[in-house]
Amino acid sequence: MADPETPERAVGLLEQIADTALDDDYYVVRAGSAGPSREFNTVLTGVVLAVFALLVAIAAIQTRSDRPATERERATLISDIGSRKELLAGREETADRLRSQVADLQSAVISIDPALEEVRLLAADGQAKGPGVRVTAVPGSGLSGDITDRDLQILVNTFWYAGAEAISLNGQRIGTTTSIHNAGGVIKVNYVAIGAPFDLEVIGDPETLEDRFDDTPTGRLWEQRRSSAAIRFDVTGSDDLSVGAAPKDRLTIRHAKAIEGGA
Amino acid sequence: MIPVIGLVIGIAAGLLFQPTVPTDLQPYLPIAIVAALDAVIGALRALGERRFNDRVFVVSFISNVVIAAFMVFLGDQLGVGSQLSTGVVVVLGIRIFANAAAIRRRIFHA
Repeated sequence: MADPETPERAVGLLEQIADTALDDDYYVVRAGSAGPSREFNTVLTGVVLAVFALLVAIAAIQTRSDRPATERERATLISDIGSRKELLAGREETADRLRSQVADLQSAVISIDPALEEVRLLAADGQAKGPGVRVTAVPGSGLSGDITDRDLQILVNTFWYAGAEAISLNGQRIGTTTSIHNAGGVIKVNYVAIGAPFDLEVIGDPETLEDRFDDTPTGRLWEQRRSSAAIRFDVTGSDDLSVGAAPKDRLTIRHAKAIEGGA
Repeated sequence: MIPVIGLVIGIAAGLLFQPTVPTDLQPYLPIAIVAALDAVIGALRALGERRFNDRVFVVSFISNVVIAAFMVFLGDQLGVGSQLSTGVVVVLGIRIFANAAAIRRRIFHA
């Protein structure tokens, strides 16, 4: 071993630890001639070893007695898992029940649906098709040849009277809140400007529509205007007409509320 | 003979009284045992080399245990308890292996 007086050479820390594994004191004492007892068989050694054995025994017993606690913790965790699994199963059962309930309600709604479809048809909320008449009106010459918003209003009104179930004017479906009006010389339907030729699609029974329309003053007026002012006015029956839905903002009800039970 | 009796007494006392370590001291016990083991293995090697000294043994034993426990305590206070414990165990482990190797060389000449 190195002389304790001289500084150690710089070596690796771990190597140094391994080299000086035995306490230097053991060597130092040997150098001194009048060292104390080198006897191994002394009470002092015995006491220290007893302490050492006691420490080891205590640690071993401690670890052993800690084990049941760990075991108990484990058992608690396992039972926890079990109860959570049960809970989960219960929840899943509830979810299944609710799911089937939802399916039942959905099928119930589907059985109600025809009524809803009818209401939507009435409210012009959705496309509609069926037989009917197609009316084309093209303005003629002269002052009386003009077709005004008032003319179109009366025309549409007359077709409602004649039994129309759905009307669209130049592609604009006439809904419950649709207006036909003149704004600055432009005719607007559903606030969309339209112009000649005016093309009216009327869904209803074609024969009834035509017959009843011809019988009204409006029908007779248009007939007369056709000959006098060179207005083109045709009413032709059709088996397959389709009209679009009214615009969404013409279907939105903001203030009116249904009265319960007020049929 | 006395050391063997001491060992037996220590183990018997531990088994008999089964003292429980206070919770505050529990982290120090394993490190203290490793330190004590280092002192004991060192003593065995010194015994084999015929330079054993009971006073050196006692002092190294107590100082090893106290310093190891103190380092664990210090590590706990600094928040690096487990790292410092690892360091102590590594150093003491190297010493134990080196001393054990020396003993083995002496006994088996290999």
